[in-house]
Amino acid sequence: MTTLRPFTCNDMYKFNNVNLDPLTETYGLSFYMQYLAHWPEYFQVAESPGGEIMGYIMGKAEGHGENWHGHVTALTVSPEYRRLGLAATLMNFLEDVSEKKRAYFVDLFVRVSNKVAINMYTNLGYIVYRTVLEYYSGDPDEDAYDMRKACSRDVKQKSVIPLNHPVRPEDVE
Amino acid sequence: MASKVHVQDNSVVERRLRPIYEWLDSGNNKKALQECDKVLKKTPNSLCAKALKALSLLRMGRDCECVSLLEALGEDNPVDDATLQAMTLCYRELQQQDQICTLYENAVKSDPNNEEFHTQLFMSYVRIGDFKLQQQSALNLYKLKPKNPYYCWAVMSVVQQATREKELSKRGVLLSLAERMIDKLIVENKLDAEQEVQLYLMILELQNKYEEALRVFNGSLGEKLVCNTLVSYKLPYLIKLGRWSEVNLVCKGILIESVDRWDIWKEYVKSVFELMKETQSNNHVESHSNGDNDIEYVDDIPEKAHEFMCRLVENSADNGYLLRGPYLARFELCSKLLEVGIDSSELLGDTIELFIEYFRKFGHKPCCVTDLRIHLHLLSVEKRIVLANRLIKDVGISSTSVPQSEQQMQRHLCSLQLSRLCGNHRNLSSDHLGALVTAFSLHYQHGFQTYGLNLLQTDQGPSDPYAILAAHILYDLAQLTQSSKPVITALVLLENLLKNSQCSFNAKLLCVRLFHTIGAGIGAQQMYESLDVKHLQMDSLGYTHCARLPTTGLITLTTGLLDSTLKFFSSNYKDSSDHLTFCYKYGSFIKLDDFMDFREKLNNSFHYTMVAVDRIILNIVQCSSIDNLYNTNILPKDNNIEWDKLRDNHDLSVYVSWDPERINGPPEESQEIKELFIQNVQFLKLRTHILWALSASVNVVKSQESTRNTCIDTLKGVIKDWSDIYYKISSSKTAPIKQNLVTMPLPSRLHSHLNCRYFEILAQLFNLLVNIATEDVKSYNSIVLDVQNNFRDLTRDVVNVVDQLKQSNDFYWNRRHVLEIVVNTVEIISLSATICLLCNDLAKPQKKSKKKIDSTIKNVLSNLANSIKKELNVVDTCLENWNLPDQFDLSDRLALLNLSTNGQNSVIENINNSHVIAVKELRTLLKGKVKMLCG
Repeated sequence: MTTLRPFTCNDMYKFNNVNLDPLTETYGLSFYMQYLAHWPEYFQVAESPGGEIMGYIMGKAEGHGENWHGHVTALTVSPEYRRLGLAATLMNFLEDVSEKKRAYFVDLFVRVSNKVAINMYTNLGYIVYRTVLEYYSGDPDEDAYDMRKACSRDVKQKSVIPLNHPVRPEDVE
Repeated sequence: MASKVHVQDNSVVERRLRPIYEWLDSGNNKKALQECDKVLKKTPNSLCAKALKALSLLRMGRDCECVSLLEALGEDNPVDDATLQAMTLCYRELQQQDQICTLYENAVKSDPNNEEFHTQLFMSYVRIGDFKLQQQSALNLYKLKPKNPYYCWAVMSVVQQATREKELSKRGVLLSLAERMIDKLIVENKLDAEQEVQLYLMILELQNKYEEALRVFNGSLGEKLVCNTLVSYKLPYLIKLGRWSEVNLVCKGILIESVDRWDIWKEYVKSVFELMKETQSNNHVESHSNGDNDIEYVDDIPEKAHEFMCRLVENSADNGYLLRGPYLARFELCSKLLEVGIDSSELLGDTIELFIEYFRKFGHKPCCVTDLRIHLHLLSVEKRIVLANRLIKDVGISSTSVPQSEQQMQRHLCSLQLSRLCGNHRNLSSDHLGALVTAFSLHYQHGFQTYGLNLLQTDQGPSDPYAILAAHILYDLAQLTQSSKPVITALVLLENLLKNSQCSFNAKLLCVRLFHTIGAGIGAQQMYESLDVKHLQMDSLGYTHCARLPTTGLITLTTGLLDSTLKFFSSNYKDSSDHLTFCYKYGSFIKLDDFMDFREKLNNSFHYTMVAVDRIILNIVQCSSIDNLYNTNILPKDNNIEWDKLRDNHDLSVYVSWDPERINGPPEESQEIKELFIQNVQFLKLRTHILWALSASVNVVKSQESTRNTCIDTLKGVIKDWSDIYYKISSSKTAPIKQNLVTMPLPSRLHSHLNCRYFEILAQLFNLLVNIATEDVKSYNSIVLDVQNNFRDLTRDVVNVVDQLKQSNDFYWNRRHVLEIVVNTVEIISLSATICLLCNDLAKPQKKSKKKIDSTIKNVLSNLANSIKKELNVVDTCLENWNLPDQFDLSDRLALLNLSTNGQNSVIENINNSHVIAVKELRTLLKGKVKMLCG
């Protein structure tokens, strides 16, 4: 049971029950503000009937020509509201916006160790497009999968032909 | 030819400047400064090098030199981008945003056709929030380059003038101006981008012109709105206009597609009741013809709404997830029926059965509890108890059995949490509570061993909620028995949980609260650190720890945390004006109001202000000489606190809670929290008066003969105001916030402040300073006598409470309270010593005059210093003898919970460690004061 609505600044005061989870990063304010100002339609929050934040998605549209695509920057669901199909709802929303913006595909990065998330994205129709070496800094650094799903504009599904070699983070724009 | 030379020149200069930028970027400001001087030797007139030098100086903390260099530069009227940018950075970091405006005003004057300068000028007005100048400069820009975005900047600037305008008529004029401006674009067929249409809609909305807004969607402009569906744009306007039949149909259309949209369900149910009202008042039955299709007819009576819900339940049975929407919609329907006084049982059956049915369907989901929580108000208190017992029975776990599956365990947890919400844990005997704790602790262990062994490091344990619940009940038990044992047991239990699932933030938050309950700052600090609280969380969660740490006597830890918190706030204050410019840059006008409100909320954060004041007081308390004091910035937030705008930004809901109080709404909205906030603001005001008085006193001491009287009057004014609010607050005698709920904050520091004679002692000392300044010899002795008496009473009280605690059989229960009094006393002693030195400095004859210090004053002051030292020694001896026992035996209790005593030892060690360090740091501080008073 969800109210999907645009993320507001005040939500940053209420998202602790989501962000204190170790898999969700809390960024500096300017990061959120940039997204809110630049791609407000891509930043949505799912609210419970009681007004708690259940999860949110943050994304953007970028790229030139056939590389014009939607990107998922962050997707998170509070532990209490998992296994309710919420992530799929949020992803659908972002895909819809990308369709309306005539994007060719939607992409996202995910830790190669995050089996749960990879599995979920696969179920939503995403494929591993390529591996990005040591994308996540840490001890040790961790590789990322760059996962993609084609939009209807990419009729020939050119954007989702997997690369057969990994790339370095600096090769990813 | 000449221009070519110029170009070459530029590239040479650029090459020379490059290293400066690099040094600045890498934070090596000293090197940057040296490089600047090198360039300036070769090209002494390079404005850019001068600007960069100013920036380097500023970043090295040499503000004055930076400012004078900037002033000189301003006279040169720089017009190249690089110089202007460097100067902009300086002014930004100096918090002199208005200077940036002047800078670009001049640049535009010298080069009126420069689009970039005009843009920067506009943005500089956005930063200072001067909407009128924004409007003007945007229009100038549009004249120069007729681009749509510039025009819309002007329109939005008019809208901002309107929305921040209090007078309704002016507001109306401004909004209709904005509308006409957009109309002009529409007539010229120039309105194009989605953001521009959104701006238009916003202007119509602000004027309540919803019909007009709806018309936008029918025309060609509607097609430009691609980011959202038209129905979701339209729905709010239909609601505002009360076009309920349409609302009803639109909602049904959406719900058939997505049955889980809570916002739509609410509007749908509302529309049903509005339609019912309409039909009743029109006194005729409107022929809402019944078509075959759902979206062809409106539901105008509860019966039809219920049918619709049931139909959706049947149709959506098999799409992977069992959707909660229609089930919860029935609660909404029930609630509305009760609201209008219709018996709901005819349509929906006994309300309690709705809960049971929902629990049977969704009890295996953790969200079941929060889903039902908001509807529990539909049941009377007695019915809730009935519900609680039925749920527990329904799960079928007795005191001798354990869950047979993870799902059953989750259902068990849900039933327990709901049962607590229903008030089932209230009014139980301590034996009964103890038995619950034992049962839940064992359930936790069973659940962990059965379902939690293969957890990832980032997972929360499936049975964690048992332990959290047990910790909550242990806190109840502590309150009931007024004893620390259950608190410590809870800490052992939670630390044990964190060994198994190290990322349970609920357990960590609870530990922070429990450690602070008994005044153990180090344990709280460790837990808080492991939560990795950062950025905005410092404001929303700072109350859990940062706000308490100053009362624990852990001076080093406090200093560090206050500093990192202040760093967040002050750097953010600088950034926040930039965020507003983003909105203009990207044309997201719909976000501007939100951004403005947010900026205000953050900058007027109570926590921010409290931390700023605490930090300065700590600084002064730690001063080792009078010169230290003179070099300290005494006024918090540049003395620019807007008291009426202070905001409580605390996120209290982050604490998971199953207390019945939560049925009434989030804790932030409770009356208790509103009262707590008032108390906190009062405390902050009293505390800030200490700083104002101190600052005014320093001004008196530093003043020349000609200005001294004015300075004395200012100080007198501060003392008078302080006295007024002190008596007002202390006579109102507000009670501390109740401590019955573990998820609510600890009491305000106001109460201990009032008990500790801050005002009585410090204000009198400031009075003494006034009298020395005015050479009012007669009153010296009476003031000193008064201070001595108050001091004696204060230290007597301290010795008493510490002794009482030592003699009680519980060394921890009252420890927080006692420690806070001790810390306050040490603070008063330190501040008194500082004021005493100030008096000395004031009494000292001017260097040139040959007069010696007046002997009466000398005697009075040394008498005062001696009595401060005497009381200081009393406190020091008391601290020296305040030890906690090494042994603390909980083994019986822990054995019942099947927990090892090792856990107990580590928690006790942690608490004792806090105590030892606090005592040591406080005593070191006191020793420093003795030295200062003798020096």
